[in-house]
Formats: sequence, structure tokens, C-alpha cells
Amino acid sequence: MAYKKKFTPRKKYCRFCENKDIPLDYKHPEVLKDFVTERGKIIPRRITGTCAKHQRSLTREIKRSRQMALMFYTATHSVDVIKKTI
Amino acid sequence: MVNKYEVLLLLSPELGSEGRQEILNTLTGIIERDGGNMLLVDDWGIRDLAYPVQKMTRGYYVRLELALPGEAVSELERIIRITDGIFKFVTVKLADKYVPEEA
Repeated sequence: MAYKKKFTPRKKYCRFCENKDIPLDYKHPEVLKDFVTERGKIIPRRITGTCAKHQRSLTREIKRSRQMALMFYTATHSVDVIKKTI
Repeated sequence: MVNKYEVLLLLSPELGSEGRQEILNTLTGIIERDGGNMLLVDDWGIRDLAYPVQKMTRGYYVRLELALPGEAVSELERIIRITDGIFKFVTVKLADKYVPEEA
């Protein structure tokens, strides 16, 4: 039977628990970039697999990063998009 | 009670090196007057911003590490807000009870 073959998704794990050397702070937007969509929304942890503790600090650091113009709030404000529309 | 703080400043790219030095000197003065001291000045240089700030797409980042009593932080932030040429800033507490090495 076709539906007997169940799809088993790959086990998700918290990237920050796995590797303690990954810097989780607002000064490293290149790390935080993986945890937002291309429009700039924070991805929920049920999708990324981040643990609750690290998701809390991740959210805090992404918000600080946005405040300091290291990351954009929304893609329509992003410098790249504005340059294209002009 | 002295804590360790980190302040990231976003300065105007139009400021010359003298203008930047002047801002840093006034901030150091304020910090030392309130019983703290500047530990580190980390110059990130000019970077592209993620979104325009005051119609500028680039900015000059400076990261400061400082030891300061908790009550003096609001005074430092007040000075930062009224200083010309500082677009944005964020203050983060790094550690409680900072003890200087040469104590």
C-alpha cells in the first residue's frame, strides 16, 4: 500500500546547544540571518528546532540587531529593495 | 556597585575622525565623572546599513566596553541622545559586579 510508507522528517536539533562556539548575539547578524525569513520575520522554533532557552535569546538578539540597523525590520525598508525601486 | 556594560554607537558617516574623537572624549569624560571607566574602544569602521537611517545608507559603528555604576547609565544615555552625530545606540549589560584587576 502506498500510504504505508510514512514520511519521517529529519530530527531537528538546536544549533546553539550542539555547538557552543556559535556566537549568539546582536553583533553577528550573519548568524541571526538564518533564523528570519527573507522578509525579515523571526521563524518559529517548531520549524527551526531551536530549544526554548535559545529561542528566547535569539528573539532578543534579533530585535537588538534590528534596532542598530544591522538587520532590517521588513524587506521593503531594506537598502537593497529601495535601491532597486529607484 | 560597578557593572560592566557594552554600548554600540551608530555615528554619522559624515563625521571626520576629529568629530568622532571629540564624541568619544566627551563620553569618556562623562563616564569618568560618574565613577566608571572606559575599558575598550572597538572601531568597526563604516558599514552598510540594513535600512536607511536619516536618509544615509552607511554608518560608522563604534563599540565601547565600560565599567559604570548602574545609576549612571541613564545619565550616559541622556548625553548620548543629545549629542549630535549619534544616530542610534544600544546599551547591553555584560556582567554584574565588575572587579578591576588592579584592585
